[in-house]
Amino acid sequence: MLKNDISNRSPRNLLFLFEILSLSLVFLYDWGSVDRATYITAIGLVIIIYLSNFILNKISKGDSYIFLIVTMLVSIGVIMVYRIDSQLGMKQLLWLSLGILIFYLTYFVLKFIRGWKNWIPLYLGLSYLLFFLTFLLGKRKYGAINWITIGGHSFQPAEITKILLIFIIAAYYSNPEKFSKYKYAPYYIMGIVYSFIALLFLQRDLGTALIFYAIFLAIQFIYEDRRILILYNIILFAAGGILGYVVFDHVKIRVLTWIDPWSYIDNKGYQITQSLFAIASGGFFGTGLGLGHPEFIPLSYTDFIFSAICEEMGLFTGIGVIMLFMILVYRGFKIALNQTHKFYRILALGVSILFGIQSIIILGGVLKVLPLTGITLPFVSYGGTSILSSFIALGILQVASEDIDTREEAE
Amino acid sequence: MFNFISLVFKYIFIIIIYLFIFSIIRLIYLDIRSMDVSAIDGDAYLKLINRIDKLPYKIKEHYPIDGELTLGRHSDNDILIKDPFVSKKHFQIVEDEGDYYLEDLNSANGTFLNGERIEDVAKLSNGDIIKVGNIEFLFVNRE
Repeated sequence: MLKNDISNRSPRNLLFLFEILSLSLVFLYDWGSVDRATYITAIGLVIIIYLSNFILNKISKGDSYIFLIVTMLVSIGVIMVYRIDSQLGMKQLLWLSLGILIFYLTYFVLKFIRGWKNWIPLYLGLSYLLFFLTFLLGKRKYGAINWITIGGHSFQPAEITKILLIFIIAAYYSNPEKFSKYKYAPYYIMGIVYSFIALLFLQRDLGTALIFYAIFLAIQFIYEDRRILILYNIILFAAGGILGYVVFDHVKIRVLTWIDPWSYIDNKGYQITQSLFAIASGGFFGTGLGLGHPEFIPLSYTDFIFSAICEEMGLFTGIGVIMLFMILVYRGFKIALNQTHKFYRILALGVSILFGIQSIIILGGVLKVLPLTGITLPFVSYGGTSILSSFIALGILQVASEDIDTREEAE
Repeated sequence: MFNFISLVFKYIFIIIIYLFIFSIIRLIYLDIRSMDVSAIDGDAYLKLINRIDKLPYKIKEHYPIDGELTLGRHSDNDILIKDPFVSKKHFQIVEDEGDYYLEDLNSANGTFLNGERIEDVAKLSNGDIIKVGNIEFLFVNRE
């Protein structure tokens, strides 16, 4: 018994050590300009994370690794954000505290309220409302209209729609007997998802459109009985991609700067080349925190956080971040395989695909492996809505990792 | 001064991050090794609800019910639990014409079905929770 306890405690203590050391280093870097509120928030957050990892083991009989992995990612991210811009770092600390709160909220709401799989109209209504609001109040930021500003706080509705999309698809595929009486049900669901993707395309939010596509295609591939639909989808995807390249200028630019950023180094390709320079100048062990120049990369605190991490903390840390994402996604799939309740199973699957595909798209983008699309690296990048929606997704995964009582849902 | 500390810390950070990843992968490895995939082939099985790494004795996550299943502290039981709260022969589950029945074998501390102590025999249905000592099992019957 004692031995088992030690093995469970060791990653938690390592995480604690890492947070304390890195925070003290970052505060040393910023010596003199750190105010008391920041100290209190930072130390508070470290304690919250440590206690959460402890308490979660007691209250949840589900997976105990996902929260641990995520808190490590979060710690690496917030230190980097703080080092690049201490004001944003302070905000990020607050967002993270809120995120952990939202995580617990999602966990309890999803666990104790039943019947989530019957509320497709609600999810649909909310999604379209969010899209409508984006068009009505949206501001164009970095080429995409995906931000709403309300009372000085800006937020990105598409981050919430991602979660709603997973709920819609999960509710559809877990109610086969309810929908099989409509002959064209699979076409309706395809129509809904395509309408989302089209709206995102109009907002020029290409990265999120790609995530929606990937989630839908993957779940359809696993659960759709009419296999021909998957082929239609792939054909439509290819056609849409080619059409987008020909018709829209901003798609073409992304592809051109991906193939050869060096010819456009003075404007369109600047971000990618700076990102590559940063990664190269870091080497295997990095320049050390505070000793590099991540401020040369535009947006190094959100989309390009990975390049900043590679520059200052080294390629090894970068590889570590990728490995952490890999075990997170692996845990997600294992949770989905173990879950017997179909709705929660598809939810877990959707969330794992979301984490996986989102990190692949942005990591590929900053490494010039894929065309660059501006999305955040989940849990690591700066960004309020992104942090919140990622923690909601994590809460869903935590609920799905438990045994769900199937009797009540039988009706 | 700061530069020197930062240079030293970057190696420490990388070591900590990799130790962290290693310890998680080790825990996951232990978790996978304790999984018994073949057990889920049958229609009915008992699934352990407790977290396996919290229990001080050897136990599996799934136990298939193949006609009959017994639990107790003595070594000829199908489920062997070395717990002082468990009697030598504690309970048995018997199949009869597709239905499963849980029978308490006069154990000292009793067998609990969904929180209620059973007297002699009780019929099991999918999703029932069987509790013995601190250990809880979920009864799953997929017909």
